[in-house]
Amino acid sequence: MTESKTLNKNGQLSAYPPCPVNDAIARLEGEIAGGALSHPRSRRIAEEIRDLVNDVAWGRAGNDHLPAIEELAGKLAADPELDAARQLGKQVKNNLAEHREVFESHVETRNCATGACTRLAPAPCQTACPAGIDVPTYVTLIGMGRHAEAIDIIRKDNPFPWVCGLVCTRPCEFMCVRGRIDTSISIKAMKAYAAERAFSEGTYTNPPQAEPNGRKVCIVGAGPGGITCAYYLALKGYEVTVIEALPTAGGMMLTGIPRYRLPREVIDREVAMMEDLGVQFRFGTFFGKDVTLEELKEKEGFEAFFIAIGAQRCWNLDIPGEKEFANIKAIHFLRDMALGIRRRPGRRVLIVGGGNVAIDAARSCIRLGCESVTIAYRRSRDEMPADVEEVEQAEEEGVHFEFLTIPVAILGENGKITGFHCQHAELVAREGSSRLSPVPIEGSDFIMDCDQVITAIGQRVDDEVFPELKRTRRNTIEVNTVSMDTDIPGVFSAGDAVIGPATVVEAIGGGKRAAEGIDRWFNHIPQPKMPPVPVRRRRLECIEVPAATKMTLKRPEMPHLAPERRKTTFQQVELGLDEHAVHDEARRCLRCDICLRCGKCIEVCRDKMDIDALKLGYFDFDHPVKTDFRKIADRCIGCGACAMNCPNHAMTITDRDGERILSLCGTILNRQPLVHCRECGAIMGPRKYLDFVQKRVQRVGSDIRITRDTCDNCLRKKSAVSGAEITTSPKIEG
Amino acid sequence: MTTTFRRGQHVEVFQKSSDESWEPYMDHFIGLHGIIVDPDTSINDPSALVEVSLEGKGTHRLPQDSLRALE
Ligand SMILES: Cc1cc2nc3c(=O)[nH]c(=O)nc-3n(C[C@H](O)[C@H](O)[C@H](O)COP(=O)(O)OP(=O)(O)OC[C@H]3O[C@@H](n4cnc5c(N)ncnc54)[C@H](O)[C@@H]3O)c2cc1C
Ligand code: SF4
Repeated sequence: MTESKTLNKNGQLSAYPPCPVNDAIARLEGEIAGGALSHPRSRRIAEEIRDLVNDVAWGRAGNDHLPAIEELAGKLAADPELDAARQLGKQVKNNLAEHREVFESHVETRNCATGACTRLAPAPCQTACPAGIDVPTYVTLIGMGRHAEAIDIIRKDNPFPWVCGLVCTRPCEFMCVRGRIDTSISIKAMKAYAAERAFSEGTYTNPPQAEPNGRKVCIVGAGPGGITCAYYLALKGYEVTVIEALPTAGGMMLTGIPRYRLPREVIDREVAMMEDLGVQFRFGTFFGKDVTLEELKEKEGFEAFFIAIGAQRCWNLDIPGEKEFANIKAIHFLRDMALGIRRRPGRRVLIVGGGNVAIDAARSCIRLGCESVTIAYRRSRDEMPADVEEVEQAEEEGVHFEFLTIPVAILGENGKITGFHCQHAELVAREGSSRLSPVPIEGSDFIMDCDQVITAIGQRVDDEVFPELKRTRRNTIEVNTVSMDTDIPGVFSAGDAVIGPATVVEAIGGGKRAAEGIDRWFNHIPQPKMPPVPVRRRRLECIEVPAATKMTLKRPEMPHLAPERRKTTFQQVELGLDEHAVHDEARRCLRCDICLRCGKCIEVCRDKMDIDALKLGYFDFDHPVKTDFRKIADRCIGCGACAMNCPNHAMTITDRDGERILSLCGTILNRQPLVHCRECGAIMGPRKYLDFVQKRVQRVGSDIRITRDTCDNCLRKKSAVSGAEITTSPKIEG
Repeated sequence: MTTTFRRGQHVEVFQKSSDESWEPYMDHFIGLHGIIVDPDTSINDPSALVEVSLEGKGTHRLPQDSLRALE
């Protein structure tokens, strides 16, 4: 491992101008972590100030932020008990007074002029995660075998590492910079590996909880959104009760996602962690029927509410036969199955829809023993919104697909379905639309043989629950998507109820944001004006990997359960990565939390040194060019100009064991033997570097030769003795 | 001519949307490039919000009329 250079204690790189905003954060972080603020009240105020200054640093602050910081700093400065709190309060106040225009410029321009705040920017994978997990840090920790620490890092932003490790739609992997070189890092699978390991080792634990603050919050809905909000509020000391209509927790994670993708134990184990924090669950209680807002407020003393009811209603096909013949809605079928009703829905099942829900229903039907399972979708395979991997797995298991098929009517006799009347479709351009739409081809009618129809054409939010809340035209609950507050003060909402049917990780991100919003609301702290910028949790050293290894390691294939088993049981299909695979994945990671791809190294090598060794084509998001780290050594002379100009110490040059080593976030790009001074033994640099210097000297017209085996000092000494004219090696400057 | 947004597709936020889900902070996204990460997993509804990961600016649900495909 290499020890990468770290930031100084103020969180700044000494070579760059300091930023008072950044400085304030570092100071506050230091005091909070250092334990000097021993009283919960002063620590809490310091945390509130830190959150507000973080908003300023990341361009999320509004006009009320600076007055609020001033007020809180004033409170801290007047702390009756703690000298450390008074000192900190005064420092924050003075810093703000002295550099007010810098703070104001961060608020107004949403920018840090010194770049100091930017240099602590999260990696693209972290930025992409709707929950904002510090991916490079936990990937590196897993690579080091430190699973429990990895889980702690993940749970700072997402209380469901295991669930997400199995079912997340992984936006992080789409933005992963390694994908621009070959394939993205298996971030999702690594998370599942660490969670399973930490649980099995007994090291999956809850973080310390704040003292109870005596305030009560009611959460409606025990899906990922509701439970996440409950988790972060419980950690802050709130008394949280979750009201859930069903007899069990998990929401769509349990009642939608089938067990072959997400075993029940995974949900149960992670939900149990919330119960350990004192979160109360009230199952079998339908909000609006069994209990009302007024009762909860007036009789039970809840002050704030978080509505995370998801999207439980389904759309209808609105075709003849739909009402007469008992067809099933996919999410009801999946829910009943999750709650224990595992009857085969029919022998020959037809599923209408092209999304993940249709695929889940089809693959479940196969496992329940249906003889034929067909998915009818009105567009072509390319437009199917379902995951490509899911579609492939469904096909492997025997699901048939009928594309460009439009439903016309459900046919039946005596209340039973006997077939499905369809028409073939073609994709045509409609006037005024840039999209192709499926249009039925006249006379192309045909009947599909089936005895059961399952519809999976989308869900919607139940508008009968909490009708007083303002809705959007999509019938979702209207909120401010930064703080998640609704039009009713003290009522917050997130998850599918707000965005429509979406994903687990978005519900988690929304739940976490709502917890922050609720906490600020209770404490009368201004809400941010922009969505959160994820918090970097650590700056870990990089894992050292030679360029050749970095290039040849491949993304691991996920092992799957044998197809015969998959057709007959609900056993988990993805068997998970092994230890060797996850360690190698960590070594493939580029550590984009440290290398920000600013391109200064490339520029200096190409434009100032005229060498152009750093062909790092993956830096470009829109037009990445193929990169091979192995080729850098062909031209690199080991001068170190790139490292000197790297604002974040991502590029480093070190002389070690007789070699000069250039590495980028642990990837060894070049390793050259060092030449030592013949006279005194001092390091002169690698041979290529000395040749380069000599050529440069000659190019500027000097006829004086550099002595390539004697250092400048010894040459000077010699010249003093002999009186000869000597040219010393020019200094390399960036 | 496009059909619908696909997962993994590169897009640009090229204009403000008139949709009510467009919030003032989203004005800062105009001109940014990103990748579609969740197109609309149930039906290809042109009015559905799609999940886009924007370079350096996080993952958001945006109305489709604010986006255009880059490839
Ligand atoms: C079949 C299927 C497969 C999916 N697969 C994936 C996947 O692979 N990856 C992924 O990321 N996402 C997937 N999703 C989407 C994901 O499950 C949801 O986006 C996520 O669960 C939404 O979380 P939520 O907390 O907003 O709502 P939900 O999970 O829907 O939870 C809402 C909870 O509120 C309860 N509730 C509702 N009304 C009331 C009331 N009035 N009183 C009390 N309780 C109430 C409900 O019973 C439910 O438990 C899938 C969804 C389905 C349907
Ligand atoms: S290479 Fe590593 S740090 Fe970079 S985006 Fe991928 S997972 Fe994140």
